[in-house]
Amino acid sequence: MAHWQRFPTAPAHLVFLWRMAAVLTTAVITAIALAISGRNPFELAELVGRSAIGSRFGLEDLALFMTPLILTGSAVTITRRIGLWNIGAEGQFYLGAAGAAAVGLYVPGPSLLVVPLMAIAAMLCGMAWILIPTLARAYAAVSEIITTLLLNFVAALLVYWLVTGPWRDRVTGALVSTQHIHAAIPEMWGVVHYGFPAALLVACGVSVLLGRTSWGYEVRISGANPGAAEYAGMPMRRRIISVMLLSGALAALAGMFEVAGTVHRLQGGMANNFGYLGIVVAVLARGSCLAVIPAALLMAFILDAGIVMQTQQLAATTVLAITGLVLMLIAAGDELAHYRPVRTTPPAGTIERNVSA
Amino acid sequence: MDSAPHQTAAGEIPVLRLAGISKYFPGVIANEAVDLDVRPGEILALLGENGAGKSTLMNVVTGIYRPDAGEIIVDGYGVSFATPHDAIRSGIGMVHQHFKLVPAFTVAENIHLGWDETPRRITRDILETRTKALSEQFGIPVRPSATVADLSAGEQQKVEILRVLSRKARLLILDEPTAVLTPDEARDLFRALRAFREKGNAVIIISHKLDEVMDISDRVSVLRGGRNAGTFETRDCSPPMLAATMVGREIVRRDLRARRPDAKPVSENPVISLVNAGVRDSRGVMSLRDVTLALHGGEILGVAGVAGSGQKELTGLLTGLCTPAQGEVLIDGQKAPAGAAAFAEAGIGHIPQDRLHSALAPSLGIADNMALREYRQAPVGGDGMYRSDEAADLAKEIVEVADVKIPDLATPIRNLSGGNQQRLVARREIRIAQKALVAAYPGRGLDIGAVATMHRYFSELRDAGAGVVVISEDLEELLNLSDRIAVLCAGRLMAVLPAQSADIDTIGMLMGGRTAPDDATDHAADHQAGEG
Ligand SMILES: Nc1ncnc2c1ncn2[C@@H]1O[C@H](COP(=O)(O)OP(=O)(O)OP(=O)(O)O)[C@@H](O)[C@H]1O
Ligand SMILES: [Mg+2]
Repeated sequence: MAHWQRFPTAPAHLVFLWRMAAVLTTAVITAIALAISGRNPFELAELVGRSAIGSRFGLEDLALFMTPLILTGSAVTITRRIGLWNIGAEGQFYLGAAGAAAVGLYVPGPSLLVVPLMAIAAMLCGMAWILIPTLARAYAAVSEIITTLLLNFVAALLVYWLVTGPWRDRVTGALVSTQHIHAAIPEMWGVVHYGFPAALLVACGVSVLLGRTSWGYEVRISGANPGAAEYAGMPMRRRIISVMLLSGALAALAGMFEVAGTVHRLQGGMANNFGYLGIVVAVLARGSCLAVIPAALLMAFILDAGIVMQTQQLAATTVLAITGLVLMLIAAGDELAHYRPVRTTPPAGTIERNVSA
Repeated sequence: MDSAPHQTAAGEIPVLRLAGISKYFPGVIANEAVDLDVRPGEILALLGENGAGKSTLMNVVTGIYRPDAGEIIVDGYGVSFATPHDAIRSGIGMVHQHFKLVPAFTVAENIHLGWDETPRRITRDILETRTKALSEQFGIPVRPSATVADLSAGEQQKVEILRVLSRKARLLILDEPTAVLTPDEARDLFRALRAFREKGNAVIIISHKLDEVMDISDRVSVLRGGRNAGTFETRDCSPPMLAATMVGREIVRRDLRARRPDAKPVSENPVISLVNAGVRDSRGVMSLRDVTLALHGGEILGVAGVAGSGQKELTGLLTGLCTPAQGEVLIDGQKAPAGAAAFAEAGIGHIPQDRLHSALAPSLGIADNMALREYRQAPVGGDGMYRSDEAADLAKEIVEVADVKIPDLATPIRNLSGGNQQRLVARREIRIAQKALVAAYPGRGLDIGAVATMHRYFSELRDAGAGVVVISEDLEELLNLSDRIAVLCAGRLMAVLPAQSADIDTIGMLMGGRTAPDDATDHAADHQAGEG
């Protein structure tokens, strides 16, 4: 006789299978909803498939969406490892973009020199933006969720002010934008720039940092049980500070890649929810830095599909609904992956287990 | 008919009957074909070694786990509980080994959490008045407005019990309730349990303390390797007989103070010494003051005292978790470096009072948890890296010497039985204890076999030349084990006595703050190990 039993660990292959099932179910439910509202889901699916993955243009777009999502997803994931939530990736994204734009606008020179400077400036700005929430968390136990979230609005308005005030485009008169920034990350494949492989490398690097270094071990223990970290004499405060600053820097780097790689300007509203979607990506990745990559791919695909659907007069909020559905079903799938069938007859040879202890 | 509550008529229906209950975890038989009866008006003790399956069996009874085989019969009717909620509706309530209260909530809020009878409109006042009424009704004193996080273990337990009783439990299950209590609190608890029994209710109590079992229970069931090894009337039992039934063999008491012929002598110079040391607590009060104490290599120093007399602070000073607000701490005669990590590196191990909350990361695997002390050194680390395969090897080694059976190293450590967690922590700390080991209440939650093993570890460590500090409320244990006994009272060191000449009465007096008739206090700063 066999029945299902919950196991404390979920093997990777089962997680993978259940997640595939979750994505499939999402597709089916979306199709049914579309059919009920009088659309032909097969036509739409074909259209989405053709334009999002069936064409070179679509693939390029996918890579461009993935780049910032990988970075903001990694930014949120590393704070999860120490038990915190950086909800402010959106704000740090803006600050990174602004810092990069400042260098791009005012430092002359060849891209080869200016682009690295832009990256450094962006990361410093991102760290500065998360500094106050970080110190408040480390020294006064103030919830970083609230502080990082609120600073997002400040950052968005700051960028609006910059691009409509001191840095507004005086050359072509583009609205809510700086002028074109010449220093750019070189392109490698169509419009896909080297920021894409760089983001992949960053995700791998962060994974090594967290999984294979003693710094990462300390972060993990501090996140799992602060009491144990204190007992072992780990410098928890310093770990919290370094993790949050690194998180701010990663989110800011996403902003810099957008400015220097994709948009070539600083624009109001350019963060495009990438910061918030980073939270979704992190949740999908379940705290694993490498899983951020496929999670970002899925999210990028949903964004892409959303754009295609908008061209078919479907509401922009469809994307939100699909994202929610995917999140929910994947969470259910992750739980199901803990279950495996077991025989109800006892496992042989373990009966004398602790009699001889 | 004075006090024979277990005199139930032969035909009386048991409150709870278990028939052939089995529960398997991957690679582990937690319970196998267990039969058990609990009659109205009796206290049944459930005994067994660490990992014998006691907690699991009770989790099956209360609907946390589903049995893989067997039947649960309540009042003569077969039942199947899907959730703990169902169990409490049938009148079965449990207080767990690790409390399940919301620390940030008040007592009143915790009592009313997840309860059908919680009124729709809830204000602070309503909840607190209701809690007060319940507290009086069941004779369990609690402070309704206190926040749970601020309560002592004993007070939290009262809240748990009141929570269960107010849901009209007729069968109360307590998992190692006295492990975290002071002797006074334990007495109060037993009084409440007896009163509960007089009303015709039943109690199942899990305990490792045989004296307690003899005192409180009417019948005893013993689990061994997940099976019921027998149920006895308590009056027909004796502690040695129960111990033998539990372990399946006689437990031989060794003279723990006898040194091996090749044992290292007590070291000339102390390994750790406190000079006029004191600690200030978070409110700025000196919770430990003017302590001068020397721990020598090759001795076991017992620390006696009523709970809360400064044991936590003393442990903190000896392990680097507290920085002295007064005086200083010396390791090998040198001023000690700051921080718990530096103390561990200097060879000082620490078995803390509350293993699950301070010595382990419950959600992480066994390997990660076993590396906690050695991740800064080769082979696991040392160069800034963390090698998980080396951590796994280290964990395997520790698991082996600790004699703990585990399914695999990735299992979250919270899935191990309480006693097995304690064994792993102990072995991990003994590994690094080149100089000294500080053990706070090391026997808590351990079965008597494991306590004996733990004591053997300590005497081996002593013979190997390390200094061992054992903090315990069990004076008998301290007298059997230690070379010298330090007595704490209200944050002060009352005296350090050689264990051979000390007697329980003198120690008891010192614990109560009275100085001994002779000039024992003059020995407080005595650096001489009490060795004859
Ligand atoms: N959720 C779980 N998953 C896997 N194994 C488990 C789980 N819970 C318990 N076990 C295993 O089942 C066995 C019985 O554990 P249980 O907690 O019932 O022991 P116990 O008798 O309460 O011991 P202790 O006195 O140490 O508390 C142990 O070997 C334990 O490791
Ligand atoms: Mg248990």
